[in-house]
Amino acid sequence: MTRYQRIDRRRFLGTAGALAGVPYIIPSGILAASGKPGANDRITLGHIGVGGMGNGHLGRGLKFRELGETSVAALCDADEKRLAASVRRCGDAGVRAEPYADYRYILERDDIDAVIIATPDHWHGVQTVHACESGKHVYVEKPSSVTVQEGQAMVKAARANNRMVQVGAQGRSGMPAYYTCRAIRNGMIGRVKTVDCWHYANPIDANPVPDTAPPPELDWDMWLGPLRWRPYNQRYCHGTFRWLLESGGGQIRDRGAHQFSTILWCMDADGPLSFSVEATGNAPTKGLWDCPPDMDVTYRFKDPEWTLIWSQPGRKAGKTEFGQVFYGENGSLLLEWEGARKWAEPEAIDFKVPPGGFEPYTPNLHDDFGMNHMGEWLKSIAASDRLPNVDIEIAHRTAILCILGNLSYVLGRKLEWDGVQQQIRNDEHANRLLAKPQRHPYHL
Amino acid sequence: MSHNDLGREITELAPRLADGDVEVARAAKRAMWHCVRQAGRPDAGDERQFVVAALISLLQGSQPAAVYREVLWMLSEIGSAESVGPIAAMLSNKTAREDARMALERIPGDESVLALELALESAPADFRTNVAQSLRARGQEVPGLPCQKLKPTKQTEVSPV
Repeated sequence: MTRYQRIDRRRFLGTAGALAGVPYIIPSGILAASGKPGANDRITLGHIGVGGMGNGHLGRGLKFRELGETSVAALCDADEKRLAASVRRCGDAGVRAEPYADYRYILERDDIDAVIIATPDHWHGVQTVHACESGKHVYVEKPSSVTVQEGQAMVKAARANNRMVQVGAQGRSGMPAYYTCRAIRNGMIGRVKTVDCWHYANPIDANPVPDTAPPPELDWDMWLGPLRWRPYNQRYCHGTFRWLLESGGGQIRDRGAHQFSTILWCMDADGPLSFSVEATGNAPTKGLWDCPPDMDVTYRFKDPEWTLIWSQPGRKAGKTEFGQVFYGENGSLLLEWEGARKWAEPEAIDFKVPPGGFEPYTPNLHDDFGMNHMGEWLKSIAASDRLPNVDIEIAHRTAILCILGNLSYVLGRKLEWDGVQQQIRNDEHANRLLAKPQRHPYHL
Repeated sequence: MSHNDLGREITELAPRLADGDVEVARAAKRAMWHCVRQAGRPDAGDERQFVVAALISLLQGSQPAAVYREVLWMLSEIGSAESVGPIAAMLSNKTAREDARMALERIPGDESVLALELALESAPADFRTNVAQSLRARGQEVPGLPCQKLKPTKQTEVSPV
């Protein structure tokens, strides 16, 4: 399969003229009118995980419904309060969506074409594999996985079942990243030798609390899913899971999954990459969270040689909380955040592609990058002959960077990654940690 | 450091894992994991065996369930054939058996597969599918015990609008 040729926003809106200038809210009465997409043309969605990011994705699912592209048929969460809130939200939009506490009921439904997975990171791999094996297309939040083995299984399941799996690293669907990629890939700053990321620190659990029984609305067993069992703790659940290595993996596996995705795009480095990785950091000395507040990770690539640096807090070069600077032979170029939410440098925006130069593909369909990214997935499902722009294989390679950064920190030693064999060279212990056994029955 | 220093540290730190002061327990856990990760490095030599031996002796003593679980996961990272028997013995401990199963699943070699096969024969009915899962993960066929991963079980009390 090949990726789309870039479709200019103006051209797209010209052919889809009814949408031009129209806000996303379209009265439901005209959705199946003559010349409008009818119910049979829609992709029927199930939303798995509807708090936090999942609630945002539900909003997008409902917007695409208003645009005639989707139906929202099912909702799932391990937290009954969150599930009830999502049911109400759908009801307010005139949608009757069936609630479930167990995502596998959604996978059993033949009328559901695709699922949007926005559960905690430790569920991404298992649920994506199960969904593909059940014949569903998948939009899954980043990072794509918490272990290398999960990522490999996700790629295999997507390919074996011919499903479209888009991963929610939206940078490649944002114009700032597009401008930056276009400038770098066409040599504006010469060959790039170093990319330096800065990011604010992981937080410390400054108010630790003892383990307790879970709140009545939460199915703690389901929330933990594949992870080894542990008692519930208020500091280890919604949102805060990010600060534990086994689940969230800290900033490098959260924002790093965004930033690294954009960087690999700009560096034309989506293929199998071999590199060394060496991480240092200071473990917290208090509280439940174990991600290092400060962290420095250096990745060294060969053929071509370049270095990627992840630093918390690092050398802040821009105006915002995190970003990266590309250092080339002929200058540097800064990109804030992941290249979607903030802005690109004016030189990159103004850069003209030389004749015969490289034109990156970005799904230029909607003004909002989140809609763009999900819209790209829906288009790939409809087209069925091309992969979405952050296909699972691309995201898996990005996640490997995040996972191995943390692994090098945890092990306190430099690792040599063989990107073709997908193994660490000469380190049996480290290779064993590329996979993690999962609790029954929540496994790949 | 002598070769057995990491092993001695494991032995000394282990009782603190169940300390009433949760911060002491967490500090002990961090320190023990540090020893395990040091012992796993490629040039660790005898240190790995000393740490594994210290962990096995913890499994063979009387410990709170939380200590057993932590030790099982430590052994899953650096244990080899010598760890299989002591881990397999934990399959009869109802609070630690799932962690023991996962530890066996992770330890390379024929010994761990054989231990899982033996466990399947004697496992109680409510644990047999768990063991079968590990055997499948290790490439074994387990006829008669179908995979449960896609079978939904959880019910919600939330009603559709």
